[in-house]
Amino acid sequence: MQINRDMNILVVDDFSTMRRIVKNLLKELGFSKFDEADDGATAWPMVQSGKYDFIVSDWNMPQMTGIDLLRHVRADEKLKDTPFLLITAEAKRSQILEAAQAGVDGYIVKPFTAATLNEKIQKIFERVAEKQNK
Amino acid sequence: MTFSTDIHVDKVRALLQAMEAGDERCTVEILDDITQIRKSELHQQLSELTKNLHQTLDDLDVDTPVLLHAKHDLPDITERLQYVLNETQKASDKTLGSSENTLGLLEEVGTMLEGSDEVSKIQPLLDQASQELTNIMLAQSFQDLTGQVLNRVILIVTELEESLKALIERSRHDYDAIPQKTQSEAEQSAEHEKGVGPNVTAKSKLDAVESQADVDDLLSDLGI
Repeated sequence: MQINRDMNILVVDDFSTMRRIVKNLLKELGFSKFDEADDGATAWPMVQSGKYDFIVSDWNMPQMTGIDLLRHVRADEKLKDTPFLLITAEAKRSQILEAAQAGVDGYIVKPFTAATLNEKIQKIFERVAEKQNK
Repeated sequence: MTFSTDIHVDKVRALLQAMEAGDERCTVEILDDITQIRKSELHQQLSELTKNLHQTLDDLDVDTPVLLHAKHDLPDITERLQYVLNETQKASDKTLGSSENTLGLLEEVGTMLEGSDEVSKIQPLLDQASQELTNIMLAQSFQDLTGQVLNRVILIVTELEESLKALIERSRHDYDAIPQKTQSEAEQSAEHEKGVGPNVTAKSKLDAVESQADVDDLLSDLGI
């Protein structure tokens, strides 16, 4: 399936190293338009602008957590369909189920590989395309 | 500065007189007298402090936070620091391995280019790439420095743990009787909501998935 490599992606993580890694991996996968946020709280006003086609976020951040950001997105009529991928060190079963309940599209546990990221992105946008065709 | 009331001004005056008179025996005697007072005072204060400490320790319940910290949190700290040490070590090893492999590849490319017309254009780029890789390898020396610091902290924490254990046992508490830390369900779910970071201790690994495959299994049941 062809994914639109021109889409706007928001990368949210409080560690700049992780943002750099994620951005570089996305670049390698052919994406080129990224913005960064260092917390859910700084990400949320950016997301509200409606600019982003895809959000990649960490869970554990000081002000607003990734799961909270996800809930904000899902609760907003205009934004609720934005694909949302969590990349996190949080690995308790209860947390993964909670993320699923909140409407996450993909869940990657750190440390992760480029192949895993690619696979999840493929899967997410395949499902988006399926939904649109219905 | 405060003076002890036990050292009388007369005594100091007598000391001064004895010194002025050059009476060495008398000077020493008075000096000894004064320092003796100070010593016994210090002794008294120390024994009071010790008594207080004992009393405080005796009054502690077996599940007092400080005892729980001593028994559970200090070993937890050590376990977490050890994790940092291992992970940074693994990452540096991986970085060094990949850098070495890439240096080998660049060398191979250089050999293949020998005699070709393009060599003068490409070789400088290969050299530059090798230089960058060397920089990457050198940056891994952080592992040595941070590793030494972490080892030192682990040692200090372990010693602190031993001292606290000895203190607890000396105050007639049974170290083994200090219970596990408990967390209510609400506390636990609030903590999970906030995020707990990597599950690195044996205890925190309970109920955690071990790999991405586990996550995928869990979510595929839910159609994600």
